[in-house]
Amino acid sequence: MSINYVSSGRQSFDDLCRVQASNTVTAPAMKKYFSALFVLLPIAAAFFALAPASAAQTDWIRTGTGLGVERVRIAVPDFKTPSTSNFSQVFDQTLFNDLKNAGIFDVVSKSLYPLAVPGSPAEIKLDAWNAEPVNASMVAFGSLSSGGDNSSGTLTVQGWLFDARNSQSPQVLGKQYSEPASEESARLIAHRFADEIISRLGGGIAGIAESKIYFVRAGGRNKEIWQMDYDGANQKQITRLGSISLSPRVSPDGSRLAFTTFARGGPDIAMYSLELGRMLSFPRFGGANLSAAWTRDGSKIAFSSSMRGDTEIYVVDSSGSNPRRLTTSRGPDVSPVWNPKTDAQIAWVSGRNGLPEIFLMDADGAGVQRLTEAGYAVSPSWSPNGQFLAFSWNRKYGPGAPGGQDIYVMDVATRRFIQLTHGSGTNDFPSWSPDGRHLVFQSTHGGVDHIWSMLADGTQLHQLTMSGRNSQPNWSFK
Amino acid sequence: MQTSRPISALPNSCIAGDGSQPAARFWRRKLILPMILLSLLALAGCRKPAPRSTPTPPPEVMPTASLSANPASIRSGESTRLTWQTQHATDVSIEGLGQVDSNSSRMVSPAESTTYRLTARGPGGEQEATTRVTVTPAAPTQSTTGDTTNSGPHPDEASFSRNVRDVFFDYDSYAIRSDAQEQLNANAAWLARHPGVKVQVEGHCDERGSTEFNIALGDSRAHAVKQFLVQAGVGAERVSTLSYGKERPSCTESNEECWQQNRRGHFVLQR
Amino acid sequence: MRNRRQSIFDERESWQGPVAVSTTLHAAFFVLILMYGAYLSHLPHESWGSATASSGDALSVSLVSQAAIPLPRPAVQTENIVANDSPGLTQSKPKEIPVPEPLAIPIPAREHTRKPEKIREKIAVAAASTIRDTYRAPPPRESNVVPFGRGGPVDIPYKVFSLGGSAAGIGTPSDSGFGSRYGWYVDVVRRKVSENWLKYEVDPAIQNARRVFITFDIQRNGQPENVQIEQTSGVPSLDVSAVRALQRIDTFGPLPPDYSGRQVSVEFWFEFKR
Repeated sequence: MSINYVSSGRQSFDDLCRVQASNTVTAPAMKKYFSALFVLLPIAAAFFALAPASAAQTDWIRTGTGLGVERVRIAVPDFKTPSTSNFSQVFDQTLFNDLKNAGIFDVVSKSLYPLAVPGSPAEIKLDAWNAEPVNASMVAFGSLSSGGDNSSGTLTVQGWLFDARNSQSPQVLGKQYSEPASEESARLIAHRFADEIISRLGGGIAGIAESKIYFVRAGGRNKEIWQMDYDGANQKQITRLGSISLSPRVSPDGSRLAFTTFARGGPDIAMYSLELGRMLSFPRFGGANLSAAWTRDGSKIAFSSSMRGDTEIYVVDSSGSNPRRLTTSRGPDVSPVWNPKTDAQIAWVSGRNGLPEIFLMDADGAGVQRLTEAGYAVSPSWSPNGQFLAFSWNRKYGPGAPGGQDIYVMDVATRRFIQLTHGSGTNDFPSWSPDGRHLVFQSTHGGVDHIWSMLADGTQLHQLTMSGRNSQPNWSFK
Repeated sequence: MQTSRPISALPNSCIAGDGSQPAARFWRRKLILPMILLSLLALAGCRKPAPRSTPTPPPEVMPTASLSANPASIRSGESTRLTWQTQHATDVSIEGLGQVDSNSSRMVSPAESTTYRLTARGPGGEQEATTRVTVTPAAPTQSTTGDTTNSGPHPDEASFSRNVRDVFFDYDSYAIRSDAQEQLNANAAWLARHPGVKVQVEGHCDERGSTEFNIALGDSRAHAVKQFLVQAGVGAERVSTLSYGKERPSCTESNEECWQQNRRGHFVLQR
Repeated sequence: MRNRRQSIFDERESWQGPVAVSTTLHAAFFVLILMYGAYLSHLPHESWGSATASSGDALSVSLVSQAAIPLPRPAVQTENIVANDSPGLTQSKPKEIPVPEPLAIPIPAREHTRKPEKIREKIAVAAASTIRDTYRAPPPRESNVVPFGRGGPVDIPYKVFSLGGSAAGIGTPSDSGFGSRYGWYVDVVRRKVSENWLKYEVDPAIQNARRVFITFDIQRNGQPENVQIEQTSGVPSLDVSAVRALQRIDTFGPLPPDYSGRQVSVEFWFEFKR
């Protein structure tokens, strides 16, 4: 009964619809539709005509995960040179080490290379490099010539990077460098060439071969700021204040160095111009002022100050004006660092609960969260991609407890962490490299404070300083 | 037809219907299971907590104490180091210094020859130890001539170094402990007696821990000392603070004794 | 009988007694269980995982290391039946791949979803080797397996093309020139996406999944754009993790300077095996 009713209702509805349709599609509306079609049709036709053309122009890559391991096997033979000089040795060694330290290559040992030294694209035989025993997928080779062995010549280097498995079009890079001949410029050219290779094959992330590390060296009762290359070469003194200077932090553009000094009594933030080679003026606030940190855009500096009693985190413009307070809690608050990806978050160390712990807040001071619990956690450093915090942590710390202060890396989003160093000495002050692949830190491994570098997964440890007592390294931004 | 019955009449109806035995058994069966389960529960509960056995108290042993001063003879204005060791003592105090740690040492600068008496109290009893420090009067110094210009030493300097002494802190703490409170009260009293004197409080930390955090901690310590002095009546403009963190230790050994010495608030006379 | 039945009906009233006792006992039980649970929760216990660990044993979750730190994953030793184990200077011949019976899936004692695929891939590679004529490099091997167990890179030249869509072809079909000319750039793309793919974002219950295919374009400056899921794997968390991997990447590095196109399109598949 009900079914019948529905079907009859449907029929009537359909009829109604039909009637309505016929009512609505009247002549003027039809005309509207047709005119619209006339306008749209050419556009559509043009679109469809062009689409295959553009599709034909776009090349396609089809690839996927699980297709092989990630380290590029690269061969770096000595560069061809008319006579082996000091420069060529320095160059070869620096280039080899730069590529080895990059963290993304499997540099084939020189003992496996074929005997013929290629100096130009015409001379290289890719079959020899592609096959056993070298089995390289990339070859970096070239020639070096210095007009005269001593300082009055010009060092000219031509370098190529060839894809050893692609005989049709092997060239990936071809570069030429020319500098006044000296050991330092040989090193510099090697760094530049290595950075080019690393940048091309590492997915657009710039190499770190030309970056610098700033650190503190103790001499007698004083401590001064020093600078060195990323591999520990060219160590030179920067400040000569005859007092205790700590916590160097270089600006993102590399022009200025902010640090903490006792030169004028209490700890104050001071600014040194690396371009001009002298101190710049920076306002003195009352109390203790320490641990300056630059934003990634270089516009602001966060630091710890007790200008109003208790140490809190403040933010000033990079000229030192306009201080604003961010934290308001009892207990020491030090060591702020900005998230370099966004400049919208600050991680810092707070002793508000007793032992120092790492906290996180927004750049205006809101949204305070605690990241570590239990133990003694200090010295946070934010990775360039904004995802990881490296810090120094002693998870069993207590009065008199035996040490074990190690470098940890924590994923900020998930709070999961991994331990990188394992209990040999006290490890502190990690600082990320600009490519996000390396960390430099201070360690008492071996008894004396020295600066060490390692890959961000804890492997490939290198000692960078060999003499003196060195601490608090800071890796430049580029 | 049975009309509604009160519950209490239930057994009767069961009895009336089927005899008493099954009913009683019925109830017993119903109760036995919960009882069994409850007892299992209780047993399981009993398994959980680790039994905290109180350790047998050690036999009562008489505390031992020894006290020495090095050097034992000084000139007026100099300092000597008192070192003491005690065993089996819970409460150790030295006349003139107050409550002290069981094994420690301290610098003292007595104005005249004194006998220091150490008392060690423990559950086993009480022990005393003494040592004598002889102070020979120094040659007359310029402190009596009243030279107050900046070129010479401050007139109150000797008195200052004798009376306004360091206070010590617990690990990772900037709280003023009771022995520090006594010392600070004495310091405040001295400052009240010498109204023109300005003083700087330095905050220091021991060598463990991180450079930057220790500067902040030292600052907190100096600040706590200043607040205490101000509350004890010293004008705030007379006291300034400075933190050195762990950069200027007074001793460099790696043991608790040295670390305690370094966790200090140090007073410096300001000109 | 009738009396009994009647009395049963009549006993409806008398049920209230046992029901009441039963409910009170049940309630008492429930309360006891709750108290038991509350008591247990107050005992000191270790918390696992995350940074809130108190005593610090057995917890630091190892994860972070290879995920989005732009380091290549460490070289993996594979159980490659084709390889021998000797590294170094000896010229070792790969084992001959016999052409297996097609579609002969053995009766599984342990079900391995990979087996059918492997057999199909073997067919594909074996067939491809007969077609290759300008091919100079070492003889074909399973495309996703590291040659000679030493952990070197895949050195299949970029002219391998896929048969049946199941073999892993790096690069492009022979009509498109980008992969054959700029194989190194294809490697860069592959490496960078693999580094930024966080496998732990996938639902932990998933063991194996179909491939998810993502397409995107790479502009001249190397930035990926227009990320789309072309073919889903059926596992939403896997699809999302694949898209997120792309979102983490700012740039692959500029396109090769002597490449004339405005952009390159990439079809990237993510293969998930736990």
